[in-house]
Amino acid sequence: MNNHQNIINKIKALSKKIDKPVNLMEVCGTHTQAISRYGIRQLMPANINLITGPGCPVCVTDQSDIDNLVNLSLAGIPIATYGDTIKVPGDFGSLEDAQQKGAKVFAVYSIEEALELQKDYPDLVFFGLGFETTAPMTAYAIQNGLTVYSAHKLFLPAMTHLLQNRLTNIEGFINPGHVSVIVGADAYKNIKAPQVITGFEAEDVLVGIYLLLKQIHENRQDVENEYTRAVTKFGNTKAYELILKVFEPSAGLWRGLGNIPNSGLAIRKKYQHQDAKVKYQNILSKIKHTYKKNAACKCGHIIQGALKPQQCPMFNKVCTPDKPFGPCMVSSEGACNVEYQNI
Amino acid sequence: MKDTVKIDEGGGGQASADLIKEIRDILNIKNKWTNCNDDAAIFNTGKEKIVFTTDSYIVDPIFFPGGDIGKIAISGTINDLSVMGAKPIGIALSIVLEDGFPKDNLKKIMHSINKVSQEAKVPIVTGDTKVTDKGKLDKIVITTSGVGLVQNIISNNGAQPGDFIISSGDLGEHTIALLAKRFNYQTKIKSDSHAFNFELAQVGKYLKACKDPTRGGLAANIIEIADKSKVKIILDEKTLPYKKETTAISNLLGLDVFSLASEGRFIAAVNPKNVNKVLTILKKFNKEAKVIGHTEIGKDVFLKTALDTLRPIKMPKGKLIPRIC
Repeated sequence: MNNHQNIINKIKALSKKIDKPVNLMEVCGTHTQAISRYGIRQLMPANINLITGPGCPVCVTDQSDIDNLVNLSLAGIPIATYGDTIKVPGDFGSLEDAQQKGAKVFAVYSIEEALELQKDYPDLVFFGLGFETTAPMTAYAIQNGLTVYSAHKLFLPAMTHLLQNRLTNIEGFINPGHVSVIVGADAYKNIKAPQVITGFEAEDVLVGIYLLLKQIHENRQDVENEYTRAVTKFGNTKAYELILKVFEPSAGLWRGLGNIPNSGLAIRKKYQHQDAKVKYQNILSKIKHTYKKNAACKCGHIIQGALKPQQCPMFNKVCTPDKPFGPCMVSSEGACNVEYQNI
Repeated sequence: MKDTVKIDEGGGGQASADLIKEIRDILNIKNKWTNCNDDAAIFNTGKEKIVFTTDSYIVDPIFFPGGDIGKIAISGTINDLSVMGAKPIGIALSIVLEDGFPKDNLKKIMHSINKVSQEAKVPIVTGDTKVTDKGKLDKIVITTSGVGLVQNIISNNGAQPGDFIISSGDLGEHTIALLAKRFNYQTKIKSDSHAFNFELAQVGKYLKACKDPTRGGLAANIIEIADKSKVKIILDEKTLPYKKETTAISNLLGLDVFSLASEGRFIAAVNPKNVNKVLTILKKFNKEAKVIGHTEIGKDVFLKTALDTLRPIKMPKGKLIPRIC
C-alpha cells in the first residue's frame, strides 16, 4: 500500500507542475477493465484525464462486418466466433438473433473449438476478429483448414491515425499490454507520442501513468517499457511471422475510425479457397449496408475517446448490457459496459 | 421477433431473476408456505417446520476434476436445505437420459450420488427415470428435490449493520475446474462440490443470513443478502476468498471471479462476537474459512480495492463469456 501511495503522491506532484489538462489514452480492453477495477480514476488529480481508446476488438469491428456475418448465417452457413461478438446488433439484427431464427451460430471460447466444430460442420466459417493477439491463432487455424472471415486488425496504425485525425487531444498512450507481447516494444518507435507499455496490476497502471507524466513534463516522446516481465524489445517474432505467412496487411475498416491503410489483415491468395470473403462473394456483394438502424449509437465516438460513455444520450437509459445498442455496451471490455459496472 | 427464452436467462444473473419473476407472476404462489423466494420453502405444521426444495442439473462436461453431475445434483439439494438451517431427511431423484447414454457412465453417476447420500446421511427415498430420443437432450438431466426439518430458520434477510461476512472456504473452484477441463488447462484446482450439511449444522445457530454461492457466484448471492437484509456490504480485496490459480485462470479467460460458481461453500453474516467461534469450527472442515467483508448501514455491495478505492459489485449479466483480447 505504501508503494501505491508513493506513486500516487508522485503523480499528484507532477500533475501540479504540468498544470494543464492532460489526456492519457489506454488502448487495451484489459487496461480499461483494470483502471475501472482498481478505481484508478478516483485517485487522479483533476487535470489528469484517463480516456479509453479503441482497444476492445469487438467494439472496433465495423458494423458492415457484423451485417455480413449475420447474412451469411441466415443463408445457412454455420458461423463460429468468440463470445460476445454474437450479441452485437447490426442492420439485420445480431448473430444471436439469427441463431434464434434457426441459423447455426456457435460462440466458441477458443480456436480449437472452432476446429472441432468444423468436423461436424464442414462449411463452418470462423468470424476472426481481434488484433495481433488473436490473429496468430486464426492463422494457425487457417493453416489447418478452417475457413475464415477476417476482420482481424493490426493495432499500431490505429494509434497513428488517432494522433493524426485529432478528434481528441492525446498527450500520451498507455500502450496495449497483450499486443505488445506479440509486437515488442520497438514496434512503437515511429509513433510520435509519449508511450508506456504497462501490465495490468494496479501498480503497473499507476507507474505507467507516472512515467507518462514524467515524459510530458520533460517534453519527451519515448516508448518506455514497464511490463518487462512479459514484453521484450522484439516481441514474439514466431507469432508475428505466422500472422504474416497467412495474412497480408490491407486497408482495415474500423468502427468510428473508418478506413485505416495497412491496418487490416486480409487472407493471402494462397489460402483464398478458405477466405469467406472470396468464397461467398456472391452473397456478400448483395448486402446493402445502411448503418441506419443504430444510427444513434455513439460507439464510434466513444472508441476514439471523443465522448465518454455517460455523454451518450442512450447510455443506461435505453442502452444497457441486457439490451445493448452498440458493441461498447456488449463487450465486457467495451468502455460503456465497463462504465455501466461502476455506476 | 417472437419472444423466446435466451441462454442468458439461465445464467443466474439479472436475466435469470427477471425470467423467474415472469414465471412467478403467472403461478399463484400465495399459500401457507413461507420463504418461497429463498433457497427452500418452509411449511409450519404447528409441531414442526418442513423445508422443501428442488433443483435441476445440467452440466458440461458431466465428469470433471472433483466430481460429476451426480455429486453436484445431490450435494446441491442437501446444501440448499442446509443453508436454511434445516436437517435434510430425504431426497427424490429424477433422471432424464438421452438414448445411447453409456450405462457405465450412468452407473458411475449413481455410485457417486450414493456415496454422497451415505456420507451426508441423507437417503434417496424416491425417484423417476425417463429416456428420450437421441438428440432431444444433451446426455443427462438430473432433478433432485429434498425435504428437511428445521427449528431455527436461517434466512437471507437477517444481516444487520456491523456484522462480519464470512466464507466457508475458497470460492469459484467449481467453475474453474469445469473450464480447465474444457480447455485442457493443467491445474490443481478441483471442483469444490460436496454436501456441507454437517459443517453448517455446527455453526448454524450463529449465522444471521446464509447463501451457497452457486450460479451467479459470490456477486449474485452477496447482493441478494444485501438487498434482502437492507444493508451495505463491503468486501475487502485483501481477503478475497479466491486461490491465486482461480484468479489467474479467471483472468486468462476474461471472466469476473465474482461470478464463478461454487458447489460446496457457503457465505454468511455473523455477529462479530461469534466470528471466532464460527471460524474455529469451520476451519476444522476447511482451513480457508475466513472473514471476507463486513456490513454497514446503507445498501449495495462494494469492494474495497488494493488502492483503498471503492468499486461497486454488480449482479452478473447473462452467461459467462470469455474475452477476446
